[in-house]
Amino acid sequence: MLRYLLNRILLMIPTLIGVAVLVFFLLRLAPGDPVQMMMEGANVPQEVIQAERARLGLDQPLHIQFVKWFGALLRGDFGVSLWTGRPVLHEIGIRLELSLQVAIMATILAVIIAVPLGTLSAIFKDTWIDHVVRIISIAGLAVPSFWLGMIIILLLLTYFSWIPPLTFTPFFQDPLKNLSQLIWPALAVGYRYSAVAMRMMRSSVLEVLQEDYVRTARAKGVYERLVVARHAMRNALLPVVTVVGLEFAFLIGGLVVTEQVFNLNGIGKLFVQAVSRGDYTLIQGLVLLVAVFFVGVNLAIDMLYAALDPRIRYR
Amino acid sequence: MSVAAPAIPYKIPKRRHPVLLFIVQQPLGAAGLAFIVLMAVCAIFAPWVAPYDPLAVDYGAMLAAPSAEHWLGTDSFGRDVLSRIIYGARTALAVGFLASLLGSTIGAVIGVVSAYFGGKTDLIVQRIMDVLLSFPIIILAITVVAVLGKNLVIGIDVNLVIAIGLPMVPKVARVVRSSALAIRELPYIDAARTAGFSHRRIIFRHMVPNVVAPYLIMVTAFVAQAILAEASLSFLGLGVTEPTASWGLMLSGAAADFYQQAPWMIVFPGIAISLAVFAFNLFGDSLRDWLDPKIKL
Repeated sequence: MLRYLLNRILLMIPTLIGVAVLVFFLLRLAPGDPVQMMMEGANVPQEVIQAERARLGLDQPLHIQFVKWFGALLRGDFGVSLWTGRPVLHEIGIRLELSLQVAIMATILAVIIAVPLGTLSAIFKDTWIDHVVRIISIAGLAVPSFWLGMIIILLLLTYFSWIPPLTFTPFFQDPLKNLSQLIWPALAVGYRYSAVAMRMMRSSVLEVLQEDYVRTARAKGVYERLVVARHAMRNALLPVVTVVGLEFAFLIGGLVVTEQVFNLNGIGKLFVQAVSRGDYTLIQGLVLLVAVFFVGVNLAIDMLYAALDPRIRYR
Repeated sequence: MSVAAPAIPYKIPKRRHPVLLFIVQQPLGAAGLAFIVLMAVCAIFAPWVAPYDPLAVDYGAMLAAPSAEHWLGTDSFGRDVLSRIIYGARTALAVGFLASLLGSTIGAVIGVVSAYFGGKTDLIVQRIMDVLLSFPIIILAITVVAVLGKNLVIGIDVNLVIAIGLPMVPKVARVVRSSALAIRELPYIDAARTAGFSHRRIIFRHMVPNVVAPYLIMVTAFVAQAILAEASLSFLGLGVTEPTASWGLMLSGAAADFYQQAPWMIVFPGIAISLAVFAFNLFGDSLRDWLDPKIKL
């Protein structure tokens, strides 16, 4: 198990180096120059622009720029944002809490919605309950999360005169206010997420209900409710765990757009800003962070899988 | 005394047209397909279907509520929302189809080639695909859009199509590769090799035709995702830009300022996106069940 884990972690390294190389050179292919973009409009003499480029190291050949950036990266230094001049890690750090909280809340919401509804849908297969749940889940795959966010705001605005607040209240400062603020974006991105998990839960419960041990449990007279809760649901949860983990990647994608709708100053908004400003170092840092996160989540799922199901052994 | 054997009534099963068969066996998928066709017809014949010019500004009818004249109301420039949605279908379908075709085709070729040659080639290709897979679709698409900028060819932003198509490549490549790996071991491939055919001939004449099923399934499934991606990018101001009609674009900018005054500006384009994605999902799922239920996306 430990050897397998180490092996997997070692395999992550070339992938992440690949991500670093790809994003670095991809950005350098872009026409236009970040310094020029920064100074646009203002009447800045050419010498100043040259000096600024030299200061940021953008006047050097590409491979030297890359070696410098990558070398610093290995020492845990992500460089400074070209736009604000502050360290990339600082820029990301102050916004990470918000995005992470929305992501976690969305995951919790998705699981809370998906597990019971998916199970119900499987137990009452081909009845109206099943049909309603399936319509909910099919719709969830089609509705764009940012639009759902807008509809939520529209409804809240119409019926409760609620508008997305301009400032973010940290959880530990005022938990209630914080939750009432973030529950809506979490719901907007979590709906799609729950739809995917719901489909999985349904088919997984249906499959488990065919198993011999379920028939045995029924034969020896276990209450149907206990059969479902103890025998079927617990075993059916395994594939759902995988889906929930994999959808985390979509969640980050959904956040990029939904944060704009709810005016949340999180990682997604930072990314869009960085892209429109041509802030190379910040984009590189963010993309690497997302990739590390994604690869890490994938590994964590595989590990969790082995922990949940003793039949699975990794070598 | 001999009894004549009773003639067993036997009807030769009629070979029905595959499209007809699909409609009978997968009514839901057929409904999705019908909606897609309807949407495509509206999009192609938009100038005749749409009641107004999507770009016609009418300051006399700004933010007009849905009425007999403007079925779905007007936006902050007095442009007819219904007409813009119909023209928006052009953008969505064109970008969606092209991006999905591009991404799936490149992915399928990479998958087959990778599986056919195996060994080192396969290993290197798979590592590159791993790198691309470690980005969420929208993150990769935004980065590519930022890098490539705009490049309009007959009204379609080619770079937007590339940006949306690229993240699909590794996913398609992975699925197609696993199908191709199974095919590679079949005797007729060995036979072809013994006959001395070139790699190219074996790949394109013997292997590619056999991965058409997963390929078609992926193309339809990814059109839905491409439509969503186009809407998201345009919403962020990184995709289609004004004055071109696009569903995502209709939701961005001014729409958010008129939440209460003109909710129709937000509600209808979103419904259009959802219905389009829904139709493609429905069709794609049925197509998968019909062609090859084992394929996991």
